[in-house]
Amino acid sequence: MRTLVVASGKGGTGKTTMTAVLVHVAAPSRPLAVADCDVEGSNLPLALSVDVVSRTAFAGRPRAVVDEEVCAGCGVCLDRCRFGALSLSDDGLAVIDPWLCESCGACTWGCPLDAISFEPQQAGEVLVGEGPAGPMVFGLLRPGEDLSGKLVTSVRERVAALADERGVGLVIVDGPPGVGCPTIASITGADGVLAVSEPTLSGEHDLRRLVSLAHQLGVPVKVVLNKADLSETGAQRIRSACSSLGVELVGELDFDTDLPRALGAVARGTRPPSSLDSSSFVHSVRAIWPRVDPERADWALPDDGSG
Amino acid sequence: MTPVTVAVASGKGGTGKTLVATNLAAHVARTGLRVTLADCDVEAPNAHLFFDVRAAVAPVEMPVPEIVGACPARCTACRDACRFGAIRILGGRPVVLPDLCHGCGACTQVCPSGALHERQVAVGSVGVGRAPDGMRLVTGQLHVGQSKAPAVIRATREHALSEVSDVVLLDAAPGAACTAVAAVHGTDFLLLVTEPTPFGLHDLTAMVDLAGELRLRAGVVLNRVGTGEVDIGAYCRTAGVPLLASLPFDRDVAACYADGRLLIDGHPAGDRWFADLWSTLCDHLATSSAGVPA
Ligand code: SF4
Ligand code: SF4
Repeated sequence: MRTLVVASGKGGTGKTTMTAVLVHVAAPSRPLAVADCDVEGSNLPLALSVDVVSRTAFAGRPRAVVDEEVCAGCGVCLDRCRFGALSLSDDGLAVIDPWLCESCGACTWGCPLDAISFEPQQAGEVLVGEGPAGPMVFGLLRPGEDLSGKLVTSVRERVAALADERGVGLVIVDGPPGVGCPTIASITGADGVLAVSEPTLSGEHDLRRLVSLAHQLGVPVKVVLNKADLSETGAQRIRSACSSLGVELVGELDFDTDLPRALGAVARGTRPPSSLDSSSFVHSVRAIWPRVDPERADWALPDDGSG
Repeated sequence: MTPVTVAVASGKGGTGKTLVATNLAAHVARTGLRVTLADCDVEAPNAHLFFDVRAAVAPVEMPVPEIVGACPARCTACRDACRFGAIRILGGRPVVLPDLCHGCGACTQVCPSGALHERQVAVGSVGVGRAPDGMRLVTGQLHVGQSKAPAVIRATREHALSEVSDVVLLDAAPGAACTAVAAVHGTDFLLLVTEPTPFGLHDLTAMVDLAGELRLRAGVVLNRVGTGEVDIGAYCRTAGVPLLASLPFDRDVAACYADGRLLIDGHPAGDRWFADLWSTLCDHLATSSAGVPA
């Protein structure tokens, strides 16, 4: 099984649209599976038509709670907490701010009365859907949760298991924005990262960070420049960044404001999938696909192995 | 006097959160108020690209345990205390996996023999500098390959709040997860930047829910008007969140952004847009406990 991750150093570059179009371009020729690892803002299910067939609870870290019957308000725990989550309430008892608490348990070791314990809680869900292109797995994280990396790992494990079961050779992953833990979890062990960039100064900075992360993790990167027509100076910036980073720029695509709408119409079934083929964006993606397809194209790290 | 704190956030990246935060901060600084802009989007900090700032950079460190002494036979106290699985017992001795560690100190607290010692590990940096118009910029940056974004965000916030200012603007990480919460928690007002597309609406809904759970006052800035036809205004009315401003998308906006120029300098209408946004925001702050900065 081969895994291609579509990623970007930050959101808004057109990553999800690119993933949806890649699925459209790759799907007819062979079975594939799709995963949305942008668990904080799963948009891919909106862009592709998917019927959810199963949902599994994703357990979070147990939540620390103070037993008000037992707490004597001595305040020892306050000094133990390094995250500023504990304070004394107006009635003199310890209270935990759930938004600051990391569930580390350091407070429990200080409490002479054992008043702090842990309760299980749910942090999100892993969902499996069926779409015209094949199975799709995505994650939903409850707002404010800190386990996005773990949830991404669950989504990837589930999609790998499904691909295995059905003899699917290709998994396309819509990765999260950024270079933090969910991105690390999405990229680790993948065959390649298609970085969707844009012709701005920020776009160049974000691309450099993403390439450096992927190379640290031993995963090769290719770049596609989206919205290339918005700024020629910006486009030039991305071209030179790619050559200095030793990564291949597989294509440049023009800004297409109609495409998300067209994809939406196909997802809702109001237009047939073939209607997308009139889009020049889809046409260009079809042209670059052979250079990206992890089952056919050559994916290698730059010689010095660094970014 | 405690400053008024306004966080700028969005359910997904690329909606123009940084564009709003940088232009608003620069506009308010030019009205004569003392402004600190804190870039808490530590995985992709970009606000500094719009300002000519030479920053003094300090590392953000996190304590991680290491085994320096002899452990009593068969002791597993530190492993049992760690709720993140960051300590394993291998060949009878504890081994620390720094990537999993949250720096909570539980292990050193329970160690009976003093065999554990905490060393400081750099996970990111905070840069502090002053732009020509007097605005202070505090930039948090996560080291590539590190996963401890919340620690860097906390440090960035602390630096920003320790500056003497009338207004602190925080540019939060995109999304509704812990990284966004770490930046917006406890602020006086939350500006939610979105775009008129189905994705924009979907992600805005999640952010409005988050604002509700965090009990934060929030308002919406609709950006990239003309790039989609979802009626964000209608959503705002049903959800009961005020729509504070609508910013169009045109080639001039794109060109300014591509070149790292502020709209209030490079776009003919930019100054008016942000003056209007600021005065609308002040009207909303006036009815809250935060009050209008003066
Ligand atoms: S579990 Fe950890 S973070 Fe939560 S209140 Fe206790 S010491 Fe603080
Ligand atoms: S400091 Fe906390 S998270 Fe780190 S190893 Fe010790 S117990 Fe685990």
